[in-house]
Amino acid sequence: MSGEMMTIAPLLTVIFGAVAVLIADMVVPARRYTPIAVALAALGAAAVFITAQGGGVTIALAGAYVTGPFVSYLGLLGITVTTITLLMTPDHVGDRGYPTAEFASILLFALAGAILVAASTDLVTLFIGLELLVIPGYLLAGYAKRDPLSTEGAVKYFLLGSFSSAILLFGIVLLWGSSGTASLSGIAAALASGSATPALAVALALITTGASFKIAAVPFHYWTPDAYQGSPTPITGYLSVGPKVGAFALAIKLFLVALAPLALLWVPVVAVLAAATMTLGNLVALTQLNVKRMLAYSSIAHTGYLMVGLVAAGLGEVAGISGILFYGAAYAFMNLGAFAVLTAIQGRPGSTTQLSDLAGLGRRHPLLAILAAVFLLSLTGIPPTAGFFAKAYVILAAVQAGGAAALLAIVAVLNAAVAACYYLRVIIYLFMREPAEPPVEVATPPLLRIGLILAAIGTIALGLAPTLLIEAVARAIAP
Amino acid sequence: MPLPPTIPFIGITWADALFLLLGGVVLGSATLVVLGRDIIRNGLMLILTLGALAGIYVVLGASIVAGAQVLVYIGAISVLILFAIMLTQSKSASAQLNFQTQALPAALASALIGILLAVALGATQWGSTVYNDTPDPAGTATAAAVLFGPWLLAFEVASVLILAAVIGGIYLAMKPAESEEIEA
Repeated sequence: MSGEMMTIAPLLTVIFGAVAVLIADMVVPARRYTPIAVALAALGAAAVFITAQGGGVTIALAGAYVTGPFVSYLGLLGITVTTITLLMTPDHVGDRGYPTAEFASILLFALAGAILVAASTDLVTLFIGLELLVIPGYLLAGYAKRDPLSTEGAVKYFLLGSFSSAILLFGIVLLWGSSGTASLSGIAAALASGSATPALAVALALITTGASFKIAAVPFHYWTPDAYQGSPTPITGYLSVGPKVGAFALAIKLFLVALAPLALLWVPVVAVLAAATMTLGNLVALTQLNVKRMLAYSSIAHTGYLMVGLVAAGLGEVAGISGILFYGAAYAFMNLGAFAVLTAIQGRPGSTTQLSDLAGLGRRHPLLAILAAVFLLSLTGIPPTAGFFAKAYVILAAVQAGGAAALLAIVAVLNAAVAACYYLRVIIYLFMREPAEPPVEVATPPLLRIGLILAAIGTIALGLAPTLLIEAVARAIAP
Repeated sequence: MPLPPTIPFIGITWADALFLLLGGVVLGSATLVVLGRDIIRNGLMLILTLGALAGIYVVLGASIVAGAQVLVYIGAISVLILFAIMLTQSKSASAQLNFQTQALPAALASALIGILLAVALGATQWGSTVYNDTPDPAGTATAAAVLFGPWLLAFEVASVLILAAVIGGIYLAMKPAESEEIEA
C-alpha cells in the first residue's frame, strides 16, 4: 500500500465498513447480529491501520488530510466509543422491532466524520467532517421511529442542529473572508499579523455560538434534554459521548489552532459559558426524577468541565488540551457504562427509567448494581475511578493557567460537590430502597454484557493506572 | 453605440445597479417564502430567490457557480421540493400554514442581527485581505484543477455525507415490513 493510501486507510475502512454492513444485510437479510459483526470487523481493521501508522505525522491528498498522534488518539477513542455502542444497542432496538443494519451503518458514517474532523487541516474539510459526524446523530435520535418521543427529540435535535451548523458556517465564511485562506494554520498566521476588524468580531461570535450548540453549552443546550430523553437508551449514551468528543475536537481545531491569536477575545466568553454550563447543568439535574433526563443534564455539566480545559488551553496552558483528551476518554467509558446499565433495566419494551425503577436493584441484581455504582462514582469524580483523574487534570490545568481560570477551577470544584448529590442519590436508591413492585425486568444479553464489562474495565483501569493514557495523551499534543 | 460606464444621472455603475436590483429580488422573494401562507407559492417564490442569486453570481463574475446554481438548485432541488410538497399533502389537511406565536420576537431578533451584520461588515476594510487559495471564479479549468486538487477530499467526502443522509432518510421514511410490525 502506498504511503498516501496508508494515511487515509482508517477513514476509508470505516466508510467501506458502513457500506459493507448494508450489503451484508442485503445478502443475509433481517439478521440481528450479522450487521453488528461486519461493523465490528471494520472497526477492528481501522484500529489495526491506526496502530500500524505508529503515530507518525503523514500527509495525504495535497495536505487536506494529516494524521499524527492527535488523530490516532481521537481515532482509537472514536473506535472504542463506537464498539461499545455497537455492543449495547442491537438487542435493545431489536426487541422493539427495529433493524440493526441501518443503525450500525449510520454509526460508522458518524465515526468517519469524527476521524475527518480530527485529521482536517482546513475549514472546508473540517465543516464537512462535522456534518458527517452530526447528521447520523439526528437519524439515530429518531431511530425508534414509531415512538413519538423519539421522533420529537430527533426533530428538535435536527432543527436546532441545522440552524447551529448554518450559524457556524456563516462564522467560518467570515473568518475565511477576513484572513484570505481556509487553512487553519494559515488563518492563525494571518490573524497574528493582521488587526482585529468588526467582521472578525462577528465571525468569532458566530463561531462561538455554533460550536456551543454542538457541544451543548448553556445557553445553547435546549435541544439536549429532549433529544437525549426521546432516543433509545443506548443511542442516548452514544449521543452524549460521540458527537460531544467530536465537537470538542472541532473546538480544539478552531479555537486553539485557527483562532489562537485571538485567545484574549474568546477566552473570557468561553469561561463565562463554562461556568454557566456547569452550574445550570448540575442544578437542573438535581431536580430530575427520570434518570435518563438526569444524565442528559449531567452531560451538559460535563461539557462545562471540558470547557474549563479549553479555557486553560486558551491561556497557553498545554495541560488544558491533555485534560480535554483524557476527560473525553474517561467520560466515554463511564457515561456509556451508565447508559448500558439503564439499557439493562429496560429489559421489557415500553419500560421507563424513573429513579424508582432502580430502587432495590442491589438486592435483585447485585453485580449490575455494583457496576452502576462504579460508573456513578466515576461520574461524581471519586477516586480511584477514571472520573477523578479526568476532573483533576482539567482543574489542575485551570489552576496552573492562573488568573480567571483559577476562579473557574473553584467553580468546577463547587459544581463537582453539587453533582455528588444527584449521583449519590441514585446509589442510595440502588442499595437502600425497597425494590419496586412489580420489579423491573432486567435483561443482559451477551453483547450488552461485553459492553458493560468493557466500559467498567475502562473506568476502573483509567482510575487505577491513569499514566497508561496520560502518555498517549502527552504524545497526542506534542508539537 | 456603447453604453456609458455609469447610469446617466444616478452615477452608479451598471454592475452595481444590477447587483442592487437582484439583491432586492432575493430579499423580497425570500421574505415572501417565509411569510406566504400557501406552501406551493412559497416553493415557487424559492425558485425566484435562487434564480436571482444565480444572477448575482453572474454579476460578480462567477459564471460556473451561477451555472451550478441554475442546474442544481433551480433544476433539481426546487423541483424536488415541489414534488415533496405535492406527494406529502393529504386532502384532509389544509395547504395553509399555521403561524407561530413567536413570529414578532423572531422578526425583531432577525432584524437586530441583520443590522448588526450590516454595520459590522460595512465597517470592515476588506481591500487589504489577500486571497491566495481562491482560483479565478470564471475559469472552468482552474476551478476543476482546484476541485480535484486541494479540495478533492472535501469534494469526495461530501458524497459520503449525502450517502449517509440518504440511508438514514430512507430508513426513517420506510414503512415497516410485515415481519417487523410490532403489536400496539
